[in-house]
Amino acid sequence: MRRTTPANPQHGPDRKPAAAWLDFDQLYRDNIDLIHRFANRLCGETEAAKDLVQETFLNAYRGLKKFRGDARVSTWLYTIASRACLRMRRKRKGEPDRELSLDEFVPTSDGEFRLQIPVEGLSPEEMLQNKELQQALETAIDKLPKKYKMVLVLRDMEGLSAKEVGAIMGLNERAVKSRLHRARLFVRRELSARGVAAPEPDRPNEHHE
Amino acid sequence: MATRSTRRRTTKAAARHHRHGSGRCLKILRELSAYIDDELSGTICEEIRRHLGACPNCEDFVASLRQTVALCRNVPAPHLSAIDRARMREAILQAATAR
Ligand SMILES: [Zn+2]
Repeated sequence: MRRTTPANPQHGPDRKPAAAWLDFDQLYRDNIDLIHRFANRLCGETEAAKDLVQETFLNAYRGLKKFRGDARVSTWLYTIASRACLRMRRKRKGEPDRELSLDEFVPTSDGEFRLQIPVEGLSPEEMLQNKELQQALETAIDKLPKKYKMVLVLRDMEGLSAKEVGAIMGLNERAVKSRLHRARLFVRRELSARGVAAPEPDRPNEHHE
Repeated sequence: MATRSTRRRTTKAAARHHRHGSGRCLKILRELSAYIDDELSGTICEEIRRHLGACPNCEDFVASLRQTVALCRNVPAPHLSAIDRARMREAILQAATAR
Protein backbone atom coordinates (compact mmCIF):
# COMPACT_ATOMS: atom_id res chain seq x y z
CA MET A 1 0.00 0.00 0.00
CA ARG A 2 3.04 2.25 0.21
CA ARG A 3 3.25 2.61 -3.52
CA THR A 4 2.47 6.13 -4.58
CA THR A 5 0.62 6.94 -7.74
CA PRO A 6 0.35 4.52 -10.62
CA ALA A 7 2.60 5.66 -13.46
CA ASN A 8 1.44 9.05 -14.65
CA PRO A 9 -0.71 8.67 -17.71
CA GLN A 10 -1.84 12.29 -17.66
CA HIS A 11 1.45 13.64 -18.87
CA GLY A 12 1.76 13.95 -22.60
CA PRO A 13 -0.88 13.19 -25.16
CA ASP A 14 -1.30 9.57 -24.17
CA ARG A 15 -4.97 9.33 -23.34
CA LYS A 16 -5.59 5.89 -24.71
CA PRO A 17 -8.08 3.96 -22.62
CA ALA A 18 -5.63 1.09 -22.44
CA ALA A 19 -3.43 3.04 -20.04
CA ALA A 20 -6.36 3.75 -17.76
CA TRP A 21 -7.38 0.13 -17.85
CA LEU A 22 -3.98 -0.99 -16.88
CA ASP A 23 -3.79 1.40 -13.97
CA PHE A 24 -7.30 0.63 -12.95
CA ASP A 25 -6.66 -3.08 -12.85
CA GLN A 26 -3.75 -2.58 -10.57
CA LEU A 27 -5.65 -0.15 -8.42
CA TYR A 28 -8.51 -2.61 -8.14
CA ARG A 29 -6.31 -5.61 -7.40
CA ASP A 30 -4.36 -3.80 -4.73
CA ASN A 31 -7.29 -2.16 -2.99
CA ILE A 32 -10.45 -4.18 -3.48
CA ASP A 33 -10.04 -5.98 -0.16
CA LEU A 34 -9.50 -2.74 1.67
CA ILE A 35 -12.52 -0.99 0.15
CA HIS A 36 -14.71 -4.06 0.47
CA ARG A 37 -13.85 -4.28 4.14
CA PHE A 38 -14.44 -0.57 4.67
CA ALA A 39 -17.79 -0.68 2.87
CA ASN A 40 -18.92 -3.68 4.88
CA ARG A 41 -18.02 -1.96 8.09
CA LEU A 42 -19.94 1.14 7.09
CA CYS A 43 -22.99 -0.58 5.63
CA GLY A 44 -23.03 -4.08 7.06
CA GLU A 45 -22.91 -7.08 4.77
CA THR A 46 -25.60 -5.84 2.50
CA GLU A 47 -26.34 -4.86 -1.06
CA ALA A 48 -25.59 -1.32 0.01
CA ALA A 49 -22.01 -2.35 0.75
CA LYS A 50 -21.64 -3.79 -2.74
CA ASP A 51 -23.10 -0.63 -4.22
CA LEU A 52 -20.61 1.41 -2.24
CA VAL A 53 -17.67 -0.66 -3.47
CA GLN A 54 -18.78 -0.24 -7.06
CA GLU A 55 -19.49 3.45 -6.67
CA THR A 56 -16.07 3.97 -5.12
CA PHE A 57 -14.13 2.25 -7.86
CA LEU A 58 -16.27 3.81 -10.54
CA ASN A 59 -15.42 7.25 -9.20
CA ALA A 60 -11.80 6.22 -8.87
CA TYR A 61 -11.78 5.04 -12.46
CA ARG A 62 -13.10 8.38 -13.61
CA GLY A 63 -10.72 10.32 -11.40
CA LEU A 64 -7.65 8.21 -12.00
CA LYS A 65 -6.08 10.68 -14.41
CA LYS A 66 -6.53 13.51 -11.99
CA PHE A 67 -5.01 11.66 -9.08
CA ARG A 68 -1.62 13.27 -8.58
CA GLY A 69 -0.25 11.07 -5.91
CA ASP A 70 0.02 13.76 -3.25
CA ALA A 71 -1.88 11.42 -0.94
CA ARG A 72 -1.55 7.71 -0.46
CA VAL A 73 -3.71 5.71 -2.81
CA SER A 74 -5.55 4.16 0.13
CA THR A 75 -6.29 7.61 1.59
CA TRP A 76 -7.61 8.75 -1.76
CA LEU A 77 -9.88 5.72 -2.02
CA TYR A 78 -11.11 6.06 1.56
CA THR A 79 -12.00 9.65 0.74
CA ILE A 80 -13.95 8.68 -2.35
CA ALA A 81 -15.74 5.92 -0.47
CA SER A 82 -16.62 8.18 2.47
CA ARG A 83 -18.13 10.79 0.19
CA ALA A 84 -20.05 8.19 -1.75
CA CYS A 85 -21.33 6.76 1.50
CA LEU A 86 -22.60 10.15 2.66
CA ARG A 87 -24.40 10.62 -0.64
CA MET A 88 -25.99 7.19 -0.39
CA ARG A 89 -27.28 7.84 3.09
CA ARG A 90 -30.48 9.47 2.04
CA LYS A 91 -31.58 6.36 0.24
CA ARG A 92 -31.16 4.26 3.33
CA LYS A 93 -33.27 4.03 6.38
CA GLY A 94 -31.53 4.30 9.71
CA GLU A 95 -30.55 6.60 12.49
CA PRO A 96 -30.91 10.27 11.55
CA ASP A 97 -27.62 12.10 11.61
CA ARG A 98 -28.06 13.61 15.03
CA GLU A 99 -25.38 15.06 17.28
CA LEU A 100 -24.27 13.00 20.24
CA SER A 101 -23.74 14.92 23.45
CA LEU A 102 -21.43 13.77 26.22
CA ASP A 103 -24.17 14.15 28.80
CA GLU A 104 -26.14 11.25 27.41
CA PHE A 105 -23.26 8.91 28.17
CA VAL A 106 -22.99 9.57 31.86
CA PRO A 107 -24.08 6.37 33.58
CA THR A 108 -27.03 6.80 35.87
CA SER A 109 -27.44 3.39 37.44
CA ASP A 110 -25.14 0.89 38.98
CA GLY A 111 -25.05 -1.73 36.25
CA GLU A 112 -23.96 0.73 33.58
CA PHE A 113 -20.33 1.20 34.42
CA ARG A 114 -19.11 -2.07 33.02
CA LEU A 115 -19.91 -4.16 30.01
CA GLN A 116 -22.48 -6.82 30.72
CA ILE A 117 -20.57 -9.34 28.70
CA PRO A 118 -18.45 -12.31 29.59
CA VAL A 119 -14.92 -11.01 29.14
CA GLU A 120 -12.90 -12.07 32.12
CA GLY A 121 -9.49 -13.29 31.11
CA LEU A 122 -10.28 -13.41 27.41
CA SER A 123 -8.43 -11.67 24.60
CA PRO A 124 -10.58 -9.56 22.25
CA GLU A 125 -10.25 -12.21 19.54
CA GLU A 126 -11.49 -14.85 21.93
CA MET A 127 -14.35 -12.65 23.04
CA LEU A 128 -15.41 -12.11 19.47
CA GLN A 129 -15.74 -15.82 18.90
CA ASN A 130 -18.90 -15.38 20.90
CA LYS A 131 -21.20 -14.76 17.93
CA GLU A 132 -23.80 -13.08 20.08
CA LEU A 133 -21.22 -10.56 21.20
CA GLN A 134 -19.97 -9.96 17.68
CA GLN A 135 -23.54 -9.40 16.61
CA ALA A 136 -24.19 -7.02 19.49
CA LEU A 137 -21.07 -5.05 18.61
CA GLU A 138 -22.01 -4.79 14.96
CA THR A 139 -25.52 -3.71 15.86
CA ALA A 140 -24.15 -1.06 18.21
CA ILE A 141 -21.80 0.31 15.56
CA ASP A 142 -24.57 0.24 13.01
CA LYS A 143 -26.79 2.35 15.25
CA LEU A 144 -24.28 5.19 15.31
CA PRO A 145 -25.20 8.28 13.34
CA LYS A 146 -23.20 8.09 10.14
CA LYS A 147 -20.65 10.81 10.73
CA TYR A 148 -19.68 9.23 14.04
CA LYS A 149 -19.68 5.76 12.59
CA MET A 150 -17.25 6.82 9.87
CA VAL A 151 -14.77 8.19 12.36
CA LEU A 152 -14.98 5.09 14.56
CA VAL A 153 -14.60 2.75 11.59
CA LEU A 154 -11.65 4.64 10.12
CA ARG A 155 -9.85 5.14 13.40
CA ASP A 156 -10.57 2.08 15.52
CA MET A 157 -11.32 -0.53 12.88
CA GLU A 158 -9.25 0.52 9.88
CA GLY A 159 -6.51 1.71 12.19
CA LEU A 160 -5.82 5.13 10.66
CA SER A 161 -4.38 8.03 12.62
CA ALA A 162 -6.58 10.94 13.69
CA LYS A 163 -4.71 13.07 11.17
CA GLU A 164 -5.48 10.71 8.30
CA VAL A 165 -9.11 10.48 9.34
CA GLY A 166 -9.24 14.27 9.36
CA ALA A 167 -7.80 14.45 5.85
CA ILE A 168 -10.36 11.94 4.60
CA MET A 169 -13.36 13.56 6.22
CA GLY A 170 -12.31 17.19 5.90
CA LEU A 171 -12.08 17.72 9.66
CA ASN A 172 -9.39 18.98 11.96
CA GLU A 173 -7.86 16.53 14.40
CA ARG A 174 -9.72 18.00 17.33
CA ALA A 175 -13.06 17.37 15.66
CA VAL A 176 -12.00 13.83 14.78
CA LYS A 177 -11.08 13.10 18.38
CA SER A 178 -14.24 14.59 19.72
CA ARG A 179 -16.39 12.51 17.39
CA LEU A 180 -14.36 9.42 18.07
CA HIS A 181 -14.82 9.81 21.80
CA ARG A 182 -18.59 10.15 21.48
CA ALA A 183 -18.77 7.22 19.10
CA ARG A 184 -16.84 4.99 21.49
CA LEU A 185 -19.00 6.09 24.41
CA PHE A 186 -22.09 5.29 22.37
CA VAL A 187 -20.91 1.78 21.51
CA ARG A 188 -19.76 1.21 25.07
CA ARG A 189 -23.17 2.20 26.38
CA GLU A 190 -24.96 -0.06 23.90
CA LEU A 191 -22.84 -3.00 24.99
CA SER A 192 -23.31 -2.22 28.64
CA ALA A 193 -27.05 -1.71 28.39
CA ARG A 194 -27.79 -4.73 26.29
CA GLY A 195 -25.91 -7.54 27.96
CA VAL A 196 -24.63 -10.60 26.19
CA ALA A 197 -24.84 -13.99 27.80
CA ALA A 198 -21.84 -16.25 27.95
CA PRO A 199 -22.25 -19.20 25.59
CA GLU A 200 -21.79 -21.51 28.55
CA PRO A 201 -22.37 -19.65 31.77
CA ASP A 202 -19.88 -20.81 34.34
CA ARG A 203 -21.72 -19.25 37.22
CA PRO A 204 -25.38 -18.81 38.12
CA ASN A 205 -27.01 -15.56 37.02
CA GLU A 206 -26.24 -12.74 39.32
CA HIS A 207 -29.18 -11.02 40.85
CA HIS A 208 -29.99 -7.86 38.92
CA GLU A 209 -32.22 -5.34 40.59
CA MET B 1 -10.31 -6.82 39.17
CA ALA B 2 -12.22 -10.04 39.70
CA THR B 3 -12.65 -9.46 43.39
CA ARG B 4 -14.63 -6.33 42.75
CA SER B 5 -17.41 -8.10 40.87
CA THR B 6 -18.99 -9.28 44.08
CA ARG B 7 -19.58 -5.78 45.40
CA ARG B 8 -23.24 -5.31 44.80
CA ARG B 9 -24.78 -4.21 48.02
CA THR B 10 -27.24 -1.42 47.65
CA THR B 11 -25.78 0.87 50.27
CA LYS B 12 -22.48 0.81 48.49
CA ALA B 13 -24.20 1.25 45.15
CA ALA B 14 -25.93 4.35 46.39
CA ALA B 15 -22.66 5.76 47.61
CA ARG B 16 -21.06 5.08 44.25
CA HIS B 17 -23.83 6.90 42.40
CA HIS B 18 -23.57 9.88 44.50
CA ARG B 19 -19.89 10.16 43.89
CA HIS B 20 -20.19 9.59 40.22
CA GLY B 21 -22.31 12.68 39.79
CA SER B 22 -19.37 14.74 40.94
CA GLY B 23 -17.69 17.25 38.68
CA ARG B 24 -14.42 15.38 38.88
CA CYS B 25 -15.95 12.23 37.35
CA LEU B 26 -17.57 14.19 34.55
CA LYS B 27 -14.38 16.03 33.80
CA ILE B 28 -12.58 12.74 33.55
CA LEU B 29 -15.26 11.16 31.40
CA ARG B 30 -14.52 13.86 28.83
CA GLU B 31 -10.86 12.92 28.63
CA LEU B 32 -11.07 9.16 28.60
CA SER B 33 -10.49 8.49 24.92
CA ALA B 34 -7.47 10.76 24.95
CA TYR B 35 -6.38 8.97 28.11
CA ILE B 36 -6.55 5.48 26.66
CA ASP B 37 -4.99 6.68 23.41
CA ASP B 38 -2.11 8.09 25.41
CA GLU B 39 -2.53 11.63 24.16
CA LEU B 40 -2.54 13.49 27.44
CA SER B 41 0.28 15.23 29.23
CA GLY B 42 1.94 13.49 32.15
CA THR B 43 0.31 15.74 34.73
CA ILE B 44 -3.21 15.12 33.53
CA CYS B 45 -2.54 11.40 33.18
CA GLU B 46 -1.32 11.31 36.72
CA GLU B 47 -4.37 13.19 37.93
CA ILE B 48 -6.68 10.76 36.15
CA ARG B 49 -4.78 7.75 37.42
CA ARG B 50 -5.09 9.03 40.94
CA HIS B 51 -8.82 9.52 40.54
CA LEU B 52 -9.27 6.06 39.06
CA GLY B 53 -7.51 4.55 42.04
CA ALA B 54 -10.03 6.22 44.33
CA CYS B 55 -13.21 5.92 42.26
CA PRO B 56 -14.30 2.37 41.40
CA ASN B 57 -17.03 3.62 39.08
CA CYS B 58 -14.64 5.53 36.89
CA GLU B 59 -12.22 2.64 37.01
CA ASP B 60 -14.91 0.27 35.77
CA PHE B 61 -15.90 2.79 33.17
CA VAL B 62 -12.40 3.13 31.76
CA ALA B 63 -11.99 -0.63 31.69
CA SER B 64 -15.23 -1.01 29.76
CA LEU B 65 -14.23 1.72 27.31
CA ARG B 66 -10.89 0.04 26.73
CA GLN B 67 -12.66 -3.24 26.12
CA THR B 68 -15.01 -1.59 23.67
CA VAL B 69 -12.11 -0.16 21.68
CA ALA B 70 -10.23 -3.47 21.81
CA LEU B 71 -13.29 -5.24 20.45
CA CYS B 72 -13.67 -2.75 17.60
CA ARG B 73 -10.02 -3.20 16.70
CA ASN B 74 -10.40 -6.95 16.47
CA VAL B 75 -13.58 -7.41 14.49
CA PRO B 76 -12.65 -9.92 11.79
CA ALA B 77 -12.64 -8.65 8.20
CA PRO B 78 -15.40 -9.95 5.94
CA HIS B 79 -14.44 -12.44 3.28
CA LEU B 80 -14.60 -11.57 -0.40
CA SER B 81 -14.62 -14.55 -2.71
CA ALA B 82 -12.62 -14.59 -5.94
CA ILE B 83 -15.87 -14.87 -7.88
CA ASP B 84 -17.39 -11.80 -6.24
CA ARG B 85 -14.18 -9.93 -6.74
CA ALA B 86 -14.18 -10.68 -10.46
CA ARG B 87 -17.90 -10.02 -10.77
CA MET B 88 -17.59 -6.59 -9.17
CA ARG B 89 -14.71 -5.69 -11.41
CA GLU B 90 -16.78 -6.57 -14.47
CA ALA B 91 -19.71 -4.50 -13.27
CA ILE B 92 -17.49 -1.50 -12.55
CA LEU B 93 -15.78 -1.60 -15.92
CA GLN B 94 -19.09 -2.01 -17.66
CA ALA B 95 -20.53 1.00 -15.88
CA ALA B 96 -17.35 2.98 -16.52
CA THR B 97 -17.37 2.42 -20.24
CA ALA B 98 -21.14 2.70 -20.63
CA ARG B 99 -21.00 6.29 -21.73
ZN1 LIG C 1 -15.05 9.03 39.25
